Amino acid sequence: MSHTEHIESIFRTSPERTAKMMAIVLGICIVGAAIFFGMWDYWTSAPPAAGKMSKAESATSIVPTGKEIPLSLAFVESSDFRTLAFNALPGESNNNPEIHANVGDKIIFDIVNNGKSFHAFGVTKDEEGFGSIISGSEVKSASNPLKPGESGQSQFIPSEEGSYYYICTVPGHREQGMQGKIIVGPKQSTETKTVQPTGVSHNFELNFVESSDFRTLAFNALPGEEGNNPEIRVKAGDAVTIKATNGGKSFHAFGVVTNPEDPNSLVWNSAINSASNPLKPGEFGEVTFTADTPGAYYYICTVPGHSIQGMQGKFTVE
Amino acid sequence: MVLEIQKPRPIWQIMFSTHHTDVGLLYLITSLAGLFMGGALALTIRLELFLPGSQIIADSMTFNRIFTVHGTTLIFLFILPFASAIGNYLIPIMVRYKDMAYPKLNAIAFWMIPPGFALVWLGFADFGWTAYAPYSVISAPGPAADMWIFGLKILGVSSILGAINFIVTILKCKHPDLPLSKIPLLAWAYLTSSLIMIVAMPTFAAALLMLLTDRLGVSGFFNPARGGDPIAYQHLFWFTFHPEVYVLVIPAIGFMYEIIPRFSRKPIFSHGSGVAAFILLSIVSFASWAHHMYATGMSFTEKTVFMVGTLAAVPASAMHVFNFLATMWGGRIRFATPMMWSVGGIALFFSAGAGGVVNTAMPLDFITHDSYWVVGHFHLFVMGTIAFGSFGFLYYIFPYVTGRMYNEKWGNIHFIVSFIGAVMVFFTQHVLGLYGMPRRIFDYPPFPEWVAMNQFASIGAMLLGIGAAIFLVNMIYSAAKGKEANMDDPWGIGGKYYYPYQQKNPHH
Repeated sequence: MSHTEHIESIFRTSPERTAKMMAIVLGICIVGAAIFFGMWDYWTSAPPAAGKMSKAESATSIVPTGKEIPLSLAFVESSDFRTLAFNALPGESNNNPEIHANVGDKIIFDIVNNGKSFHAFGVTKDEEGFGSIISGSEVKSASNPLKPGESGQSQFIPSEEGSYYYICTVPGHREQGMQGKIIVGPKQSTETKTVQPTGVSHNFELNFVESSDFRTLAFNALPGEEGNNPEIRVKAGDAVTIKATNGGKSFHAFGVVTNPEDPNSLVWNSAINSASNPLKPGEFGEVTFTADTPGAYYYICTVPGHSIQGMQGKFTVE
Repeated sequence: MVLEIQKPRPIWQIMFSTHHTDVGLLYLITSLAGLFMGGALALTIRLELFLPGSQIIADSMTFNRIFTVHGTTLIFLFILPFASAIGNYLIPIMVRYKDMAYPKLNAIAFWMIPPGFALVWLGFADFGWTAYAPYSVISAPGPAADMWIFGLKILGVSSILGAINFIVTILKCKHPDLPLSKIPLLAWAYLTSSLIMIVAMPTFAAALLMLLTDRLGVSGFFNPARGGDPIAYQHLFWFTFHPEVYVLVIPAIGFMYEIIPRFSRKPIFSHGSGVAAFILLSIVSFASWAHHMYATGMSFTEKTVFMVGTLAAVPASAMHVFNFLATMWGGRIRFATPMMWSVGGIALFFSAGAGGVVNTAMPLDFITHDSYWVVGHFHLFVMGTIAFGSFGFLYYIFPYVTGRMYNEKWGNIHFIVSFIGAVMVFFTQHVLGLYGMPRRIFDYPPFPEWVAMNQFASIGAMLLGIGAAIFLVNMIYSAAKGKEANMDDPWGIGGKYYYPYQQKNPHH
């Protein structure tokens, strides 16, 4: 291996060289800091696509009844901190009050922390644990809780019948007693429908199709061909049966919406499958619903992005 | 060996050189920039926790971003580049070759660090240096999180390239007269840590890609909403980063193997046991990753396997400690600054190891899991052992790099202040963990014990900060105007031990 040995004179660092190197390092840091602080809001401005999708999937179509149930709850603790509860300790009146509501009612929670520890509020369908809090119902969170004396507000619209629980979402507090029940009864229409069923029923068949490069999506035929995204016209009160077949190579799902770019604006339980459980290639599904309110609607593919790529047609109720 | 190998050159010639000492210098400066920037974030965190409630940080999101970048910086932009810096300076000399095996690859590996540095620091992601799914997949706001993923990707590739270079240099380019068993223990440290790096790092590189596509919504490896498994990310992550802990600590032990015999004026007690312990550590490092995950619902059998695998690292670590002690025993020890850092590092290494044995016992782990105990344990290792070894070696190599001597008195003060500070912060954090304080919190209830211990720890952190300020001034001033070092024997130790800047071992 090549290797030479020779006496070499020793060169030492000088003040000028040291200053130059320090200036380079500091200069880079200052420029970087200017960019970083100058764009402070930008760096955390875009939530991940995956998160947006799962939020879109979890939202279901709830038709609010318009009824509001206001409710005040306070976190209370026994003096030894072993027993926790809402409003009053066990054995006293108004301890963990039970709430009765119907599907679609809006329950408005007024939460105040009257204890000495940290608490947070949420509604869940799970019978134990502090996970899967229903989005929108939470007041603060375990990692950023309500401090003693603080208060907050949230609301919750039950989407299905059964039992829900309102709990303290700080781990362990639910087990110590901070939980109450919400019993949700069947949907009660407060107003009679303006439109009576007409007894007429329609059948439509739709087919999901894709261009070969997957950039253009449509129903029945690609744009420019005959039968592309046919308009559906029905009378208010008609029963509509849709049979949707996935004739493409990708995954699709069907729904009638008010806003063609928002798969969450679904109406009349008109969905066939969903973005999280879509129709696979070759599969088909059927749905029957009553188009009860006149207006201009759209039928779309509810997989996020597909309606913008062309999978949408007009659905008019007269 | 010295900074100006031939004659003073323009700085841009050093920057774009591929010579191993020039690349080493670039690594060194970058790593020191990382040290001070990451350290400033640590002080911010400790100031915030001095009292309950919000002090200097406005909200918990900012706090999360600060501790994320703190961890990422000090691991990937201080400890790893610092090890590469010393390796670049010394490994070719120790194996008696003219340069690294692939000089251009070496320069490329360095020049991947500044873009990674910029991506991590410009974005300031908020998911912790572990980037656990599902938070990192469905919630962590971009583009910061995506920039962190890309930055780590680049830094990971850089580490792999550096590791390849060290392995080839040591195994293929060593002098034919020099058998592998006779190369210095520091070179053995680099060989074993580079081998670990090459086996471990690709797993994380793959996990990062999966994380990125998960975030884009095109895949669902770790996204429960799409049938993915967040625990799988933890396995992939720790399969890389438990061995990575050894990648960090093995060079630091190698530094001590250089310093301790020199300042004890005695040859190393047992070269063979040092080599054996390095090889042993590199093997058992792969048998313990899931001890980070006892609380994820593993079966009793799995937990037992990983507990035993973790405990297997104890004998190998103890071999190093006993080797150091036996080397010092009966030597005429000169407590110059590098020696003080090494001895302090050994003491804290032993303490951290004892805490680690408690941690790995799975029933006890459930008490300490995700508490400040873990923070204290980890920091006692990385600060108390790895950074202490690195500081010692920086003082040790300083005269050889600059041709000037650092100020010995302020070096000693730096050590004493930092040692007291490290004990105050990290021992206290262990106790805080046992008192139930969870890690990564921005605010805490005003329990008197928590407040007192947090304040004690914060004062210790300020001592570390004062030490770092002394260190910075000492380094800059000494590099510019320090006394000219006697390049044959900067500390006046005497004896016939060969110094790293010498091209030839006088024993040959």
